[in-house]
Amino acid sequence: MEEFTVPIGPQHPALKEPISLRMTFDGEVVKHVDVRLGYNHRGMEKMAEERSYIQNLYLTERICGICSHSHTTCFAQGVEKLMEIEPPKRGLYIRTLVAEIERVHSHLLWLGVAGHEAGFDTFFMYTWRDREIVMDILESISGNRVHYAINTFGGVRRDISEAQKQTILDSLGLLKQRTEYYTNIGTTEPTFVARIKGVGKLSKELALSLCAVGPTVRASGIKSDVRKDDPYAVYNEIPFEVCTADTGDVFGRVVVRVNELFECYKMIEFMLKNLPVGDIVVKAPRRVKENEVVSRYEAPRGENLHYIKSNGTDKPERLKVRAPTLANYPATVEMLKGCFIADIPLIFAAIDPCICCAERMVELVNVKNGEASVVSFGDLKKLASEQYKKCGNKPEPVSIAKQLEKIRRKS
Amino acid sequence: MNEEKIITTIKENLKDKVLELTNPSPRRIFLKVDKNNLCEAISMIKEKLGFTYLITITGLDKTDSFELLYHFADDTNVINIRVSISRENPIVSTVTGVIPGAILYEREIQDMFGIKVENIPDPRPLITPDDWPEGAYPLRKDWKYERPGETIPGGK
Repeated sequence: MEEFTVPIGPQHPALKEPISLRMTFDGEVVKHVDVRLGYNHRGMEKMAEERSYIQNLYLTERICGICSHSHTTCFAQGVEKLMEIEPPKRGLYIRTLVAEIERVHSHLLWLGVAGHEAGFDTFFMYTWRDREIVMDILESISGNRVHYAINTFGGVRRDISEAQKQTILDSLGLLKQRTEYYTNIGTTEPTFVARIKGVGKLSKELALSLCAVGPTVRASGIKSDVRKDDPYAVYNEIPFEVCTADTGDVFGRVVVRVNELFECYKMIEFMLKNLPVGDIVVKAPRRVKENEVVSRYEAPRGENLHYIKSNGTDKPERLKVRAPTLANYPATVEMLKGCFIADIPLIFAAIDPCICCAERMVELVNVKNGEASVVSFGDLKKLASEQYKKCGNKPEPVSIAKQLEKIRRKS
Repeated sequence: MNEEKIITTIKENLKDKVLELTNPSPRRIFLKVDKNNLCEAISMIKEKLGFTYLITITGLDKTDSFELLYHFADDTNVINIRVSISRENPIVSTVTGVIPGAILYEREIQDMFGIKVENIPDPRPLITPDDWPEGAYPLRKDWKYERPGETIPGGK
């Protein structure tokens, strides 16, 4: 049996983050996965040490484009603890409201990506169209579609008017209706379910020992959610359930996310109806006395952690950021082992960074003799269709190199 | 489990190995141990208290020494285990034997602080590029980034 290594990434058209996955295959089956990071390392932790707190608030906003509010909230609530100030209730409600709306937008985006990776592009178009409603709500609240910049130390920067409240409530009705439709498709449509069920299995024990987070760990039957476990902002006042699934596969991750969408709508409605009156912000000092804080936040993809150490000046001594995707890599490597090449994008997308499968160019390295050869996408496609013709749906380990040689000779 | 119960259990089990144990804010516990007792402390909180989830490892450069913080969480509390590492001999033993999910964080610490993790299953660099100069550790306080001088081809 011949094994070969295929590097996927670091540059890929559909990749949110450039990451290199070096995979070793035996025929069609993934044997080993090696992750290489750092292609997008911006040195933000080092940068933060040279900037003042308020500058860092806008720096942390730019860690991620999809969950930008997560990082600023995590940072702001940590710094507020260091400054020993307590934001007013209305400010905290608006902060949490934006957080939940962001979760809706992130989960709708992910649902679309999952549909796209499973070859169900209609689903992708539909969810992304409805995501626009959420983006419009965010724009009406904060003035921005992507980096909302609603947070400041001691509260939020913009208030919500009665008219805005009503518009959001009206749009929620439409979103709910659409999400019900997606739940129906995502969890019962036979072709889609057949594609995602049993793919990318992660057992409960493995998820625990590899310290996975977010919907990935909740889909393996572990009730872990920072909003419930370590309540911040106003989560101890809002009624909500932690959604879990026990299948531990991509199907489970879809179920967890669509159920979370409904919880989000419930929470948004509750917050809008119970929005307290009063100030939205208190004045924050510029200098912060020496202390340290561990701030946690449940981002759409899992737990964020910011560790902030202050030294008495207006700049932090150290800011450590742990984003959820990094925590999910060891678990993803385990999920990918033993799967087929065609399942790689689906499994990788299921933790929420997305990677599309080999496009344009693939380099094949023969494990036995270390010979590398560059194959065009067209050749690879021919190879794949020939192999499937030969053995139907059950891929058998066949010599890839020999087949390639054949294709080359023909052309 | 509340903080007091956790603190008494830690004191009972680790006894004089506890160098410092504080609870500065609700649900946050800071424990300081010697680096030689790190694995023992981690397996203790894992088995006796059910802290199986390592959130991350934070490195700190205190100019005269380094400090590592291992953040652990259960379903309510966070225990931060602190170890001090000398600057002259920056070595720490791996915790992947107890917590397999620690591997990426340990590799990150190696790259960014130059703290050698002993017996690490995979010692290759994770974040720094392949052509990164040896001995340059970005998150150390004495490391400064200098932008290379720009030369415009054909310019003055």
